[in-house]
Amino acid sequence: MNKFFSNRRLVIIIVGLIVSFGLMSFSVVVRNNRATPPMIQQFGNDVVGLGNRLVALPVAGVKNSVSSISNLLNTYQENNRLKKQVQQLAQTKVRDQALTGENQKLKTQLKLNNTLTDYDALTATVIARTPSSWQDQVVIDKGSAAGIKKNMPVLSGKGLVGRIAEVNRTNSKVELLSNTNEAANRFAVQITNKSGETVNGIISGYDNDKNQIEMGNITTKKKIEKGDRVSTSGLGGVMPAGLYIGTVAATGHDDYGLASKIMINPAADVSSVSFVTVAIRQAQTTE
Amino acid sequence: MARATKMKYGFPIILFIWLYLDGIIGAAFQPQLFHYPYAMSSYLVVLWLVFTVLFEGPHNNHLEIWAAIVGCVFDLYYTGILGVFVFVFPIVVLVTKVGYREFPVSFLSGLLIVFIDITIVTFASFVANMVTHLTSASVADMLVYSLGPTLAYNLAAFVILYYPIQRLFDWMSS
Repeated sequence: MNKFFSNRRLVIIIVGLIVSFGLMSFSVVVRNNRATPPMIQQFGNDVVGLGNRLVALPVAGVKNSVSSISNLLNTYQENNRLKKQVQQLAQTKVRDQALTGENQKLKTQLKLNNTLTDYDALTATVIARTPSSWQDQVVIDKGSAAGIKKNMPVLSGKGLVGRIAEVNRTNSKVELLSNTNEAANRFAVQITNKSGETVNGIISGYDNDKNQIEMGNITTKKKIEKGDRVSTSGLGGVMPAGLYIGTVAATGHDDYGLASKIMINPAADVSSVSFVTVAIRQAQTTE
Repeated sequence: MARATKMKYGFPIILFIWLYLDGIIGAAFQPQLFHYPYAMSSYLVVLWLVFTVLFEGPHNNHLEIWAAIVGCVFDLYYTGILGVFVFVFPIVVLVTKVGYREFPVSFLSGLLIVFIDITIVTFASFVANMVTHLTSASVADMLVYSLGPTLAYNLAAFVILYYPIQRLFDWMSS
């Protein structure tokens, strides 16, 4: 044992530790402050991403065939349920078309080009998930070449699932909402209550236990009830407005009893993300 | 000559396939693997390094370099934080080599070595994420939430893969 920490080994270990921490802090600084990682890292990630897609092909094939069989088994019940929804949907769609048309006309009258609610949807496939218990992060197969920028919101299925954390040329990393990262999850959101009043706030965390989003530091007196809808407010950054996040699950006070804290049931299933949509805002960014 | 060629090109290719499979399996089985209150991280690439030491002997000096390369790719591509696995993977190879010298090589001693290696990898990953403020979990949380399930997953993978990979190495060195 005395021999183990001989002078030379000790020096190597300490140098190794210092280099390791140096590299780690460099990476974190880059991650927090720069829009894209250094050129060489981007290039490396692009090459690795290419290989990833090759290996992912057969796995995706197997997975698709399994899920198509399980879909087939559920078809009858699903069909019954969907028939009911389709009837309502037709009405909503027609109304939506009329409203969009009206909106366009009003905008041209007001000479507005793009407002906060206008965004382009970019569809991407999840090609890998970080094998780590601490970073809820996935890699998608679109990057800056397709117009993705850091901090753009990412949607899956019914609602918001996360934001872009790192952009390479042809792939990018998405930090999911369930991340407990201190720097993540800072989405500007608004709650619309039954009487049409809106309350603005910021997502402050995620409760893994109950699978709910936390929204803290709210000091409004407006009444918020269970079931009120939550969407992005489009204030600040590159986030468009009106992206659906979920519904209010519970309201209460925070740990100090001063501000109120609202728990939100996310509309999208954050624990299972395979296809995502990146929302690219058309209005100019404030950054 | 054929043996040298099979090993020379087969080893790195399969190394990277395992690396990709870690991420792809994670993405394909997200609801099963990452369902609170447990999170199983797939470290099949670590298993491949361990298998190489077990079946090829501890005399391969290039293995640490390959471990560092694959660790670097793991850091940059998956986590985005350079400087964690680029050092941890070579350490895992060194530990496995020590284990190889200390124990008789068998299925059970391999299981024990994988247990130690995966524990090292999980702890290193936790410490790195804590230092960089990417998580605020406590050590107790980490043991239950991450270490236990990850060990279970990877030991199961070791048990399943042991004999097929032994056959593969027999073939590659024939």
